[in-house]
Amino acid sequence: MSYTTESELVVDDTSTAERIAGAVVGLGLVTFAFSLVGVAQVVTAETTVLGISLYDFLAGGLLLMGVGTVVLGVGSRVGTFTTSPDATPGAVTAALFGFGAFALAGLVASQFLGLGTVGWLLGATLVGGVTFAGVALAPEDIGSTLPPGVAAIGVAVLILGGILTPAFAWEPEGFSATLTGSMAIPLVLSASTLVTMWGGAKAYEGYGSKGRQTAAYLLVGINAVSIIAVLVALLLFIASKGIGPAFQDFSLVPFEWPFVTNGYSFRPEVVNGVFPAIMGTIWLVIGAVITGVPVAVAAAIFLTEYAEQGRFVGAVEIATNGLWSTPSVVYGLFGYAFLIPRLGGTTSLISGMLVLGFMLMPLCLITSREAIKAVPDEYRDASAALGVSRWETIRSVVLPAAMPGILTGVILGVGRIAGETAPILLVMAGGLRDDAPNVLGSFEFTSSQPFVANEALLESAPALPYQLYATITAGVSAENAAEFGWATAFILLVVVLSFYAIGIASRIYFRRRLNA
Amino acid sequence: MTETSSLNTNETSEPSVEATTNQSRTGQRNEETPETWVDYEFEGEPKMSVSGLDVHYGSDQALDDISIKIPEQSVTALIGPSGCGKSTFLRCLNRMNDRIRAASVDGTVTFEGQDIYQEGLDLVELRKRVGMVFQAPNPFPKSIRDNIAYGPRKHGTVQTDLLAKLTGRDDSEQEDEIVERSLRQAALWEEVNDRLDDNALGLSGGQQQRLCIARCLAVDPEVILMDEPASALDPIATAKIEDLIEELSEEYTVVIVTHNMQQAARISDQTAVFLTGGRLVEYGETDQVFENPKSQRVEDYITGKFG
Repeated sequence: MSYTTESELVVDDTSTAERIAGAVVGLGLVTFAFSLVGVAQVVTAETTVLGISLYDFLAGGLLLMGVGTVVLGVGSRVGTFTTSPDATPGAVTAALFGFGAFALAGLVASQFLGLGTVGWLLGATLVGGVTFAGVALAPEDIGSTLPPGVAAIGVAVLILGGILTPAFAWEPEGFSATLTGSMAIPLVLSASTLVTMWGGAKAYEGYGSKGRQTAAYLLVGINAVSIIAVLVALLLFIASKGIGPAFQDFSLVPFEWPFVTNGYSFRPEVVNGVFPAIMGTIWLVIGAVITGVPVAVAAAIFLTEYAEQGRFVGAVEIATNGLWSTPSVVYGLFGYAFLIPRLGGTTSLISGMLVLGFMLMPLCLITSREAIKAVPDEYRDASAALGVSRWETIRSVVLPAAMPGILTGVILGVGRIAGETAPILLVMAGGLRDDAPNVLGSFEFTSSQPFVANEALLESAPALPYQLYATITAGVSAENAAEFGWATAFILLVVVLSFYAIGIASRIYFRRRLNA
Repeated sequence: MTETSSLNTNETSEPSVEATTNQSRTGQRNEETPETWVDYEFEGEPKMSVSGLDVHYGSDQALDDISIKIPEQSVTALIGPSGCGKSTFLRCLNRMNDRIRAASVDGTVTFEGQDIYQEGLDLVELRKRVGMVFQAPNPFPKSIRDNIAYGPRKHGTVQTDLLAKLTGRDDSEQEDEIVERSLRQAALWEEVNDRLDDNALGLSGGQQQRLCIARCLAVDPEVILMDEPASALDPIATAKIEDLIEELSEEYTVVIVTHNMQQAARISDQTAVFLTGGRLVEYGETDQVFENPKSQRVEDYITGKFG
């Protein structure tokens, strides 16, 4: 009998049930991966696998999974497979399955049976309610395998039977969007696969707490892999579009990379490049870090080490969090209205640096404060007991120990500001140019106050994100604007990731110094 | 560091004024106060002397009218049940309680006759002379050498930074001497002399605690306060620390808080027993306190009837 209250302590034989469940999960992983790629429209209905159309192939897989899951559940119930299920799959499972059944039944009733609003709503509610009650009252093995299995078989039949085809189109009233079959099929497939895999994973461990653990682990794992997949997909997408134009006329020996080393000369015979924009972005980040980070770290030291923990610190904390979530275009507007009139009256590199510095401050303050708080008090006690003053202690013990945390904040902040477009639009707005901002070269000493001058800082300079925006939306450059834009996007990605790499490398360095 | 330097940077202030006002308060004590035996006589001037010490954390009284004289170059053990105020008392001796905002201290504590709670006291000088070792080993996340040299460098005893090197005032040799001397005194030199530039966090717990003792010795203290220095260590490491304390007492004045009564009996010359309520109940020669306590409550505590 399957419904035992006492489970075996040692279960080591690979049973038929485990084989079936393993097959369900394995098949599910393949189907799910293909469905996701299908959602992204990388593979479509025209793709064939082993001579079968992709959607039919996936639906076939889902059908097998559904049958396998149902067999697992029923087999466990009639005692063919030794399992140890709980009395019920739980209210949350019941509610989620009920909702899923409601949605699926609603879709079928409204789109394929042609029932009116009252009809499909009634039918869907009925099916959803029955599913909820059934799952809630059923024992765990039946409750967590039968609904996903039946749903999987149903979905597979819809697709294999030619009812849900790529030609299918759903235009919900009140929306201007259309859900086409080529989008709906992979979506339904992936959702159904995921739920069926969950049931299969539970069955693999024979239900109970062990089963729930494995099933949850599977879902969380798929989630984590999906996040990485999104990142990789994004990078690959940008790279596939951008690498071609970015490496135009590239040669390794002699080293020539015109897109990166040239300016934008508006001459058709040479490759137009983004060198001025790269330099502009680098200068912006350097300027912002110099303006923002020391102030933020100093404020964090004051708030954490010196200030009385009370209302004042609380108010500063709220203000900082508010500043951090202030939209960047508001910072830009502040720079436009406040800084520009005071710094030469035109859009300029230095205004951009300052505005981005202001944006960097709150995040660096928050993370530095957390990092300083996390330094154990034992270090401060030890230093105080040696008669070392508070400031010396902060400088020689607290700050070095907090350094990795402070750097994390700087890395995150730089990642945000390096790609920031809105404030740049308002305070810097440099167009396509042939020459890079020469910040170091244009430092001059003058005989009158303030004794130093720097033309380059007071001029507008190009920056990668703004240039990308300008070329893509306004088509500033001539015929190959889109290609130029993709290449710019690729270079921007590389530049931002390089800042990340530098930050992470220095964090590793400081961590090494702290740990044995 | 010089012989003549005074703890009191404000030479004109009168140390005893505050003390008398505080002591007058002790007269208001209620009559039920149990009898105490704290009149321990010894030869020579006390290194540190405490009288009428009261400590409050907010409205909680942590120490109640403590008076005690600590002789030079000896080990004084402070024992008593948890929460009886031993650690608080220890922290009053080098004013580490200043770092707790809620703590208020009344009474007098003197170091070589000078009140350490008077106006104008130089905390740096006090803590250089009255060092402290904590319960859990707390080396800085730096190299062994940097840990030991931290105090001397910060106090300007040795200068080894880039500026000093460039201007020819490099004290690296002197620093090496201090590091070696401190580590030898803390019985750690043999174990670490080949890896002085390794991170101190890589040492074992017992080694870390001896490193902390060495770090404390490096600033040349006269008194070393130890707050249960061996409670986080295994028996072998504990034995090493105990041997070390006995050696140190030939040169330094050691005051040690411990939960371990056998430890107190083994290593201390005199023992002070604190009991609940932050009260010092008995103070005397260790042998006398353990073998023939004058207070019934102390006898109960030592024989394990309570506490």
